[in-house]
Amino acid sequence: MKRALQWVASAVVAAVFLAPLLWLLAASLVPTDQVFRGGWARLFFDGGWTLTNYASAWRRAALARSLAVSIFQATVIGGLGLVVNSLAAYAFARLRFRGREALFAVVVALLILPIEVLVVPLLLTVRGLGLTGGATALAGLTLPFVAKAFNVYFLRQHFLSVPRELEEAGALDGASSWRQFWDIALPSVRPALVTVLVLDLLMHWGDFLWPLVISTRAETRTVQLGLASLFTEPPIDWGAIMACAVVTTLPVIGLFRVLERFVVATDPRAGLR
Amino acid sequence: MTSWERSYARSAPWFLLPAAVLLGVFVVVPTLHALYLSFHQIDLLSLDRQRWSGVSQYAAVLSDPRFRRAFANTALFALLVVPTQTVVSFALALWVNRPEAPWRALRTVFFAPTVVAMPVLAILWTLLYQPASGSDAGPINRVLLGLGLPAHAWLRDPRTSLLAVAAMSVWQGVGLQMMIFLAGLKAVPPAQLEAAKLDGASAWQRTWHITIPALRNTFVFVLSVTSIFAFRLFVQPYLMTRGGPGNSSVSLVEAIYEMTFVAQDLGMACAASMLLLVTLCVLTALQRLALAEVRE
Repeated sequence: MKRALQWVASAVVAAVFLAPLLWLLAASLVPTDQVFRGGWARLFFDGGWTLTNYASAWRRAALARSLAVSIFQATVIGGLGLVVNSLAAYAFARLRFRGREALFAVVVALLILPIEVLVVPLLLTVRGLGLTGGATALAGLTLPFVAKAFNVYFLRQHFLSVPRELEEAGALDGASSWRQFWDIALPSVRPALVTVLVLDLLMHWGDFLWPLVISTRAETRTVQLGLASLFTEPPIDWGAIMACAVVTTLPVIGLFRVLERFVVATDPRAGLR
Repeated sequence: MTSWERSYARSAPWFLLPAAVLLGVFVVVPTLHALYLSFHQIDLLSLDRQRWSGVSQYAAVLSDPRFRRAFANTALFALLVVPTQTVVSFALALWVNRPEAPWRALRTVFFAPTVVAMPVLAILWTLLYQPASGSDAGPINRVLLGLGLPAHAWLRDPRTSLLAVAAMSVWQGVGLQMMIFLAGLKAVPPAQLEAAKLDGASAWQRTWHITIPALRNTFVFVLSVTSIFAFRLFVQPYLMTRGGPGNSSVSLVEAIYEMTFVAQDLGMACAASMLLLVTLCVLTALQRLALAEVRE
């Protein structure tokens, strides 16, 4: 009895979380004038599913191009960021140099600065560097987010937990600091690297405020901006909006599987001290 | 310092250089620039003309009715979302903290909305909240009508617009906090729970007297991170309500965005940004204090 009750409660709560996402999928597959017409049952079981919404979303939101822009954006930020941030994190964890504590205090202070606070002056900086308009906006879209205080901080914590004996052995063999970093330290923190990469990819795939500010031309629109343009520029085509939302979400499902494994494996409070 | 460590120290600048340059150019300089601009009069079209204006822009921001409403809305949003999200995510974590496959599947279900991009979800929920008109109705109103309740234009009524945005935000975010709680639950000593059980403590008593105290730091972390996220609210009101109707759901960041691109008053936008930064600093300081207390 108690067991049955648990199952019912679980099913109800699960439905609250899943129903909106399933509705999104169903609404993307019915003719656009049917989206609000019938109830839930009609939407899901009345057949008449079509891919026309996908065709019009693909065309109107220029999805081929905006997907390319978003993939470029996420890859540059995630990939380049991994290199830049892990290099700095390793220096803070293992290399002794003058002013290390002071510099690290600066990194900690920067943890608090989100893009929302910086959007105005960052726009002026990026404009001053000539990174707006046309193709250079792709640099303006990505470069400001490659180095990230949080990622430096997070990776440093993980480098600190690598046993020093490993590196001392390497030093006896005459390995350079670069070799130590590349051959010993990096492979030892692989789960943390994956976590940082996947979180970066997910976060920037969903970026909205900064692209809205910087990608003013259609050629550099990200998928989220393409989706928003369907939503704000008439004629409003509900089916196409939902189809575009589905296409925008498909690439993160693969990432989701990876993240699920690693988020559980990595203690999120590692960054807490 | 051994000799190998000394030789390694020499390469430190090369390890630090890329991050230092990028953080300097794109974070440190803009922050200082914003601080400077918040005390200077300037406009988007003639960036060269700047003059010292003291705290007048802060005064203008603080007396701007839309900004004041935005601050109140954002604080209210935080008050709605932070406790709800913390309690719900903790409850969900306790619920699915079992090793068998169905519970792990349930975890995935709760976590799913957090990986979908916020603009997608904001637009989806605008459709879900769609009011009833004629034979059309959004799915949420469809459910209400099916239960014999009246339909409601959730996003278009100034009394419910912020509430609707908050509800959607809780739905989106609890999965992540749940994962953090699940990680914390692993550290609760099982022997202690077992002993309490043998002593006849109920599940509720065990949670209250053992689990919750053991998770104190996790609670502080979740509360502070969630409130910082709440103060960064932008995408939901921007896409779902445009801050409306009237000022009823405008957020701080949205108000700053409008100052920049609608009113084109950069100095005022920077002053407002600094006020947001001060708010975030206060929240972070509170977190540090709460954590420090525990360590003593």
